[in-house]
Amino acid sequence: MRLLERGARRLLTAIDAAATRLYGSAWNPVYQTGTVAVTMLLVLIATGLYLLLFYRVGSPSASVARLAADPWVGSWMRSLHRYASDLFVIAAALHAFRMFAQARSWGPRALAWVSGLVLFGAGIACAWTGFVMAWDSFGERLARDGSRLLDVLPIFSEPLSRIFAGDGPVPSAFFFVNLFVHIAVPLAMGVALWLHVSRVARPVLLPPKPLLWTIVAALTATSVVLPAPLGEPANAFALAHTTPTDLTVAWWLPLSERLAAGEVWGAMLVAAFVALVVPRAARRPREGPFAPSVVDPRLCTGCNQCPQDCPWDAITMVQRTDGRPTLLAQVDPTRCVSCGICAGSCAPMGIGPPGRSGRDQMTAVRSTPEPARADGAAIVAVCCEQAPRGHVTELRTRGAFVHLVPCVGNLHSSVIEHFVRRGAPGVIVFGCPPRDCVGREGPKWLHERVFNDREAELQPRVDRRRVRVATLAPGGLGEAIAALGAFSHDLSILDRPDREIDTAFEVVCDSVTSDAPEP
Amino acid sequence: MIKPFRLLRWAAALVASAAALFLMARASAAPLPYHPAGTARLRLSWSARPERIETCRALSQEELEREEEHMRQRVVCDGHFTTYNLRVEADGRLLSESVVRGAGLRHDRPVYLLRDFDLSSGLHHVRLSFTRRERTDGDAAVAVAPASAAVDTGIFAGRAEREVVERARRARAAIPALLLLDTTLAFAPERVIVVTFNPDRRTLEVLDGARPPR
Repeated sequence: MRLLERGARRLLTAIDAAATRLYGSAWNPVYQTGTVAVTMLLVLIATGLYLLLFYRVGSPSASVARLAADPWVGSWMRSLHRYASDLFVIAAALHAFRMFAQARSWGPRALAWVSGLVLFGAGIACAWTGFVMAWDSFGERLARDGSRLLDVLPIFSEPLSRIFAGDGPVPSAFFFVNLFVHIAVPLAMGVALWLHVSRVARPVLLPPKPLLWTIVAALTATSVVLPAPLGEPANAFALAHTTPTDLTVAWWLPLSERLAAGEVWGAMLVAAFVALVVPRAARRPREGPFAPSVVDPRLCTGCNQCPQDCPWDAITMVQRTDGRPTLLAQVDPTRCVSCGICAGSCAPMGIGPPGRSGRDQMTAVRSTPEPARADGAAIVAVCCEQAPRGHVTELRTRGAFVHLVPCVGNLHSSVIEHFVRRGAPGVIVFGCPPRDCVGREGPKWLHERVFNDREAELQPRVDRRRVRVATLAPGGLGEAIAALGAFSHDLSILDRPDREIDTAFEVVCDSVTSDAPEP
Repeated sequence: MIKPFRLLRWAAALVASAAALFLMARASAAPLPYHPAGTARLRLSWSARPERIETCRALSQEELEREEEHMRQRVVCDGHFTTYNLRVEADGRLLSESVVRGAGLRHDRPVYLLRDFDLSSGLHHVRLSFTRRERTDGDAAVAVAPASAAVDTGIFAGRAEREVVERARRARAAIPALLLLDTTLAFAPERVIVVTFNPDRRTLEVLDGARPPR
């Protein structure tokens, strides 16, 4: 499994890098696959409601043909509906691939993984019924294959396949039931989507507005320029040589048609089983880098910041039992994904995964060598460990003193202060692209803490001109080097900072660290 | 001022996006092969109740009086549903021979038949027989004369006659002991000819799509 994950990770990084080179990290749609899928669901609902007004279960083929022949609205609205379903499938598949490659499918995220699989399967099923609604040669083909699969199950007394045999007209009831399923499945998908995001705080369901409207506009333009063709009307007495097949949604059809119905069911069960056991196969022991956060009750001031920052709603405030008048943070280990965001959110450094709390970060940073180079002190580049190694090495060769952290969202602002007060001309923190942070909200909270005085903020005594937050994404080395160069240029006009030896926060942390219990 | 590199990147992004959308649109209607060119198909499709072979007995007056009034069925029958032998030949070549039973675990549901046979286009002599496998004295279930209707009163009056009518209706709706189609059919390329059972005429019927189905 680890081998598979590593291979997937390499492939994902290559895809991310290619897309970032093209679009830049801020506009990279590959980082937005989950939100793009939700956007497509909304487009499908909007266009579907319009199409529903003109659909007739008594004459499905003719009513869809009338829509397709309407050049003003009907044609592109139908095409947009089709292309949105295609993009939904592509985005959902890429999203699942990203979660798998980044090992984000196990533990507390297992529910999201499983509900995501349900959403993906429901999307395919919904598309299936949608194509049958059009009742062209492709719709008939899907209907025949679907009925063939259903007929081996002991559900219907009369085989469904006989509906399409030609010895009688296809009953309107069939199209009514198909329409009902086509509408009911998205409603069920709404419930699955709620489950999908139920374990995350502040779920982001839509991409940034500019990207959202760009994608919708691009799809609409495609629908106008390349309207989705409609096949010949379904005819039980005709053997179509080819059908205009949507391979994005019905990629499985050529394989399914070659197998016996029982084999198809077997293959589907095996595929579903394999997909469902991914969270179990991918899970790690909850220790080391995967150990859940712990709270040091003596340091917790009950400020209520870590529950607000936790991207997984894994922290609650409870009554203390030691008589102190404040509340106490409590981590639910079944919901904690060890992202470490809480470590950066806690000013008194009282919470975090073992080895990654603020105190641990300060201990580690004190043991690092001075950020110096031949011509003086070097700019400190704090980089996320998720960043591509090659990019980090390139920053080193450009004179930056690289300090790696598990996630920039973990970074306690005291670490930045430490570097500045120890004489570094500036600290630039390179985070992952905001929508690709394994801790979900790392870059966002870091920015807020450094520049907007969010609790656990960077102290006012630190000159903000000496601190910068930037993005280091696969394929985004150019952007990172440009940011480093611009920062270096801006620093060059500032006076060289004085180096301080004994800083107050170090004294506080030393005293705390000495009697703090081992996590 | 926008740098040339950035302009170039925007252009590349635009081209890549357009290409991706074009590919998606094309993949959305890819001509996927379905049926081989030039072939035709013979399809057998019908559903009908299999015949029921029964041994019926008229209940005596004493037996009837032992039952509650609404339970007094004049004739009780024991039996089973028949099975059929389906044999399909084209130009003297055997395409299929199989036993067909009624649906359901007890085979007491109608026979649902759906078979496809791919043939080359052109003229083919088709011989299709659907023969009852069990031997009986007649084509229909054994008819038994109704007992006296004297005991039927009130809302149950005339029940004996109704039972006879219902039994006769079931017998008529059942598949005959032999269904035979022996004819030459012209199969157009990429067309289907459907052979079905016409319950009104109680014969096999050929549909070619020229006329709308019943």
